[in-house]
Amino acid sequence: MEDLTYVPQLTFEILGVHLVFNTMTILMTWIVMGILIVFGILARHKIGIIPNPFQVVAELFVKAFYDLTEDALGPDLAKGYFPLICSLFMFLLLCNWLGVIPYLHEPTKDLNTPLSLGILGFVIAHYSGIRAKGFGTYAKEYCEPIFFMAPLNVIGEIAKVVSISFRLYGNIMGGSIIILVVSHLVYSLVLPPLLLMFFGLFVGTIQAFVFTMLTLVYISLQVK
Amino acid sequence: MWETISLVTASRFLGAGLAIGFGAIGAALGEGYAAGLANEALSYRPLKSGDVLKNMLVGQAIAESAAIFALVIAILLIFGGGEPEHAILAWPAIGSGLAMGLSAIGSGIGAGLPAGAVCVGIVRQPASANKTLTTMLIGSAVCQTPAIFGMVIAFLLLFLDFSQLPLYPGWATLLGAGLATGIAAIGPGVGNGLTAMEGVTGVARNPGTYNDTNRTMLVGLGIAQSTAIYGFLVSLMLLFQTVEPNSALVASMAPLGAACAAGFGGIGPGMGIGYVGASAVRWVARRPTATATLTRTMLVGMAVTESTAIYALIVALLLLIVV
Repeated sequence: MEDLTYVPQLTFEILGVHLVFNTMTILMTWIVMGILIVFGILARHKIGIIPNPFQVVAELFVKAFYDLTEDALGPDLAKGYFPLICSLFMFLLLCNWLGVIPYLHEPTKDLNTPLSLGILGFVIAHYSGIRAKGFGTYAKEYCEPIFFMAPLNVIGEIAKVVSISFRLYGNIMGGSIIILVVSHLVYSLVLPPLLLMFFGLFVGTIQAFVFTMLTLVYISLQVK
Repeated sequence: MWETISLVTASRFLGAGLAIGFGAIGAALGEGYAAGLANEALSYRPLKSGDVLKNMLVGQAIAESAAIFALVIAILLIFGGGEPEHAILAWPAIGSGLAMGLSAIGSGIGAGLPAGAVCVGIVRQPASANKTLTTMLIGSAVCQTPAIFGMVIAFLLLFLDFSQLPLYPGWATLLGAGLATGIAAIGPGVGNGLTAMEGVTGVARNPGTYNDTNRTMLVGLGIAQSTAIYGFLVSLMLLFQTVEPNSALVASMAPLGAACAAGFGGIGPGMGIGYVGASAVRWVARRPTATATLTRTMLVGMAVTESTAIYALIVALLLLIVV
């Protein structure tokens, strides 16, 4: 029960800067990235009319997320943003599912992963907003309805990053805590696999989708 | 004068009572609503009693999970104690009970609403019972998120070591950490339920819009949870800030005030955003060609509704950081 909030860390002093690395999170993120890269290579390998199993799965992802992006952004912009949206979902899905395997942990259980992805989405959304509308129009939107509402609008935008990343973190963290505690209470009999199915696979899929959809929606709000 | 050990044990019992006492309110209301609608559904189509009963029980089981979280916390509070030697350890127990109990209210009510809608839905459109049931499962599972936030805070309060925290103002930060998430989760739980209920009704009414309705519903649910997340954020800040010993009244009231601001500030916007989402989802299901327009209007309406929660968050952060 003591490992509830334990995070393995490596600390370095380089040029007077104090650096902290969460080793478990980094290792698990690399595992997820490795799986995704291998999946990509296998899906591209001997690509053809009669697809191999990996190509089928990849085509399912591509089709579904291209349609989603096209609905939200229109056919012109969809080509540019679709790779981001699709890979974000695949990455988050594997991250949330990773905890189902013994001895592996979800990288999304560490607040740093969702928060950095949230900031990534925020920066991309605002950069595309400035590029699509020009800086003048972009800045003027913050002064709606009156100019002194600007600080509140800015805080409202930052609150979006907080809410998108803490939603993912809270759900995955909560799921893994309840699995840990219930397994401890029932001596790992009967219940843990059912809980893993619900919190790991089901909630993990939904939360990955919600995160991706909200990133897409925030981009489309800025672009249009 | 009570000795420290019995004081801490007593407060653990009080926390257990608060956890399951408050936690029992919401789930029971939600399950009752589901059972009521099941009766209504059966009066239309008595031959479907097997299907309706099965779906009602599945929905009620999910609605009950918030109360089960509260039960787990209550059991841990009663049996989990060691030999506490510091008077400060009385407060995490009460805070933990409040966080779990209060946050289970909203999620319990909320998860019951789609469970009721699914009973009526499968009677209306038996051919698409699977789609209706899937929508209900997704909606009710997302409704649990506010209760899960409360549970995370409750576990952190239970298992982090607070014995070195100064009693003043440590008691206020611990109690405040419980209150902020607990109260803030009430509104979003109910609001999520409203949105999910309309999602289920919409899919049952027009199964062809399954994808559009579900997508709009998930975006609406996600944004309706924002205020619970602000409460969660304030709780985490209260838990992990450094606390200097200070017996002045101001030092204790600032964290409590921040907790009340983030907590109560989240109730109204949570329900209001849920109502916006519910209407948007209802009309996406009836007029899928207007999905893009409806989604944009929904998002703008939600942003305006959320502004009062952001005022509350600003006051909470001012109290935490500046005062």
